[in-house]
Amino acid sequence: MKLLATLLLSLFALGLLFGQTETITIKGSDTMVILAQRWAEVYMSKNPNVSIQVTGGGSGTGIAALINGTTDIAASSRPMKANEKEKLKQRFNTLGVEIKAARDGLAVYLHESNPVKELSLPQIKAIYTGKITNWKEVGGEDAKIILYSRENNSGTYVYFKDNVLEGADFVATAQNLPGTASVVNAVAKDKYGIGYGGAAYAKGIRMISVKRDDRSPAYEPNLENIKSGKYPISRFLYLYTRTRPAGALKAFVDWVLSSEGQEIVTRVGYFPVR
Amino acid sequence: MKTFSVAVALFLTSGLAGQEKEAKDSLDAPTRERISEIKGQLDGMSETLAELKTFTDALRKIKISGYIQSQFQLATGERINTFAGGNSAEGVRSRFVVRRGRLKVAYDNELTQYVLQIDVTQNGVGIKDAYLWMREPWLRMFGLTAGVFNRPFGFEVGYSSGSRETPERARIIQTLFPGERELGAQVEFSTETGVLSHFNFKAGLFNGTGPTANDNDNYKDFIGRAGFQLPFQEENITIDGGVSLYAGKVRSTSRYVYSFNSALNQYFADSSTTNVGKYFSRNYLGADVQLYYDSPLLGGLSLRGEYVFGEQPGTSSANTVYNPGTASIPLYQRKFSGWYLTLVQNIGLDHQFVAKYDLFDPQIDGGGHAIGAPAVGGGSSMTAADVKYATVGIGWNYHYDANIKLVVYYDVVTNEKVNPTATGSLLGLRDDLKDNVLTVRLQYKF
Repeated sequence: MKLLATLLLSLFALGLLFGQTETITIKGSDTMVILAQRWAEVYMSKNPNVSIQVTGGGSGTGIAALINGTTDIAASSRPMKANEKEKLKQRFNTLGVEIKAARDGLAVYLHESNPVKELSLPQIKAIYTGKITNWKEVGGEDAKIILYSRENNSGTYVYFKDNVLEGADFVATAQNLPGTASVVNAVAKDKYGIGYGGAAYAKGIRMISVKRDDRSPAYEPNLENIKSGKYPISRFLYLYTRTRPAGALKAFVDWVLSSEGQEIVTRVGYFPVR
Repeated sequence: MKTFSVAVALFLTSGLAGQEKEAKDSLDAPTRERISEIKGQLDGMSETLAELKTFTDALRKIKISGYIQSQFQLATGERINTFAGGNSAEGVRSRFVVRRGRLKVAYDNELTQYVLQIDVTQNGVGIKDAYLWMREPWLRMFGLTAGVFNRPFGFEVGYSSGSRETPERARIIQTLFPGERELGAQVEFSTETGVLSHFNFKAGLFNGTGPTANDNDNYKDFIGRAGFQLPFQEENITIDGGVSLYAGKVRSTSRYVYSFNSALNQYFADSSTTNVGKYFSRNYLGADVQLYYDSPLLGGLSLRGEYVFGEQPGTSSANTVYNPGTASIPLYQRKFSGWYLTLVQNIGLDHQFVAKYDLFDPQIDGGGHAIGAPAVGGGSSMTAADVKYATVGIGWNYHYDANIKLVVYYDVVTNEKVNPTATGSLLGLRDDLKDNVLTVRLQYKF
């Protein structure tokens, strides 16, 4: 008995000595992976007792993990759907907590040498639904348009489909790639390629200006235009938790929304919400 | 892996294309020919991958899900009539059963859906769902469902058994809506955005004979529910609810139709020959509320309640809906009411405490010691089908992982005490029946 008490006391003392490491898992949006990793790196450097693990997989995958109880935070580049909220409600009796953590302009990428400088939303829709197939139809060269898209578990895919294609199906020739970085790489190497994704990934390609319709002015996806709402394809980036964040989770979420966390948002290439 | 291969192929193709012109100038003819050959092969691979993509995109629309509920039950008495998973046989107070063995296949084309679900247990194979669903492409607010599917009434009818925290639905729900499903067609309204997203509506016409029986009359029953969802984000509370209506009729095959006389606590028959083929009302009205609260200390909490009342045509011995087929069986008209309240408290990620109370009174105009009392003046006594039951359930759910759930649940069933002189099937009901049930269930869901 005495031995047991000594052992327990020793373990307790060791615990105090080394501190307890809290682990937070973030899973979801590929668009947000870099941002979440930066948040994690900086936060862990300031809070060595907290370990944050970040994985991608797509917004749908992150939300599914939240519902299954296998992640603490779902990172999502689209709002939760009604049926996902329903599943969360059935399993945990909560609606989840939605945290608008950043804002993103969804850029349309072209190869740097492509002479097309701007497109309207109806033109983009016509391109991705297969109604426009040649660059000359939108002021470019006489060449076939090569479409790059995302896989359907991606929040970017869902957002683009809902808000640009207005729910219509992507043409079957669009090639689905596993992350925005892959889309950027593909377009950077394909003179006649077109892709879409977050502005933060836009290296080696050109982001075109977008018009709401043929009569509207075209706007670049920059801070000013996205914050003012002039750029027509912008969205929030979300963090979702199952219940009201508490303890280490709350401290992290509060930090994400602090000026320091929001500064990282800007540094990564997105737009702060505060 | 496939998408990675596509990316690599595209990378190679584009890289080669970019250098092609330069290469043409500096390379000899055989090398140029070789490059052209490789490019041709890559183009061929791209075409093959595009074909494969069409195929895998179609496959991705097929969604397969299911669950098996395997359970052990121990009752306080033998040969009990129980709503905790079906009656037990003579000499049996404990048993292993596969309560549900579901396999659901859906082809989800976003705006249209095909759904087929079967239930495989020790009793055989049965159809649970067989329906198509479609949503109009313009507003995306209105949908149509046709086939065998859940009746749009209240909350618990449509709440999946795989998700439900209690092993079974309330007694009143099982009595009024056996099998939950029905053959028919329904329209629905719902939207995810704007003020209207707080409201939803479902209504349809159904045979009224249950999920597997053919219709036996020309009258179609109306079932509908108007629902609301009110989230109070700041308070971490959500209140959902709705009102439901069942307006149906059954056709009598007998000239004997019994009505209840509450002054005499007896049934009296109308034996007009015109009763054969005549329609009698089956009307229910219900209201349901679900409150969800994100408790800061423990986790999510829900409180769900439902109240239903109305008139139910049954038989002398059964308060389920009258469905005699071709047999000439007297029809008994009853006014009923019932309700339940379920409390679920999540504790951390893996545990749920659950408590439930449900009450079902199949004959609200009479009961107690009048049941089984000697009939006078040409009337007929109330029967076991008129006995009121209350059930208190308490249990624990443990989510071992994302697929496996353990449920331990105990039902305490209390029946109304009938007349001390009652005999026959009412004999045991003079006192409280020994029909409490402990259920230990393991569920695997995917």
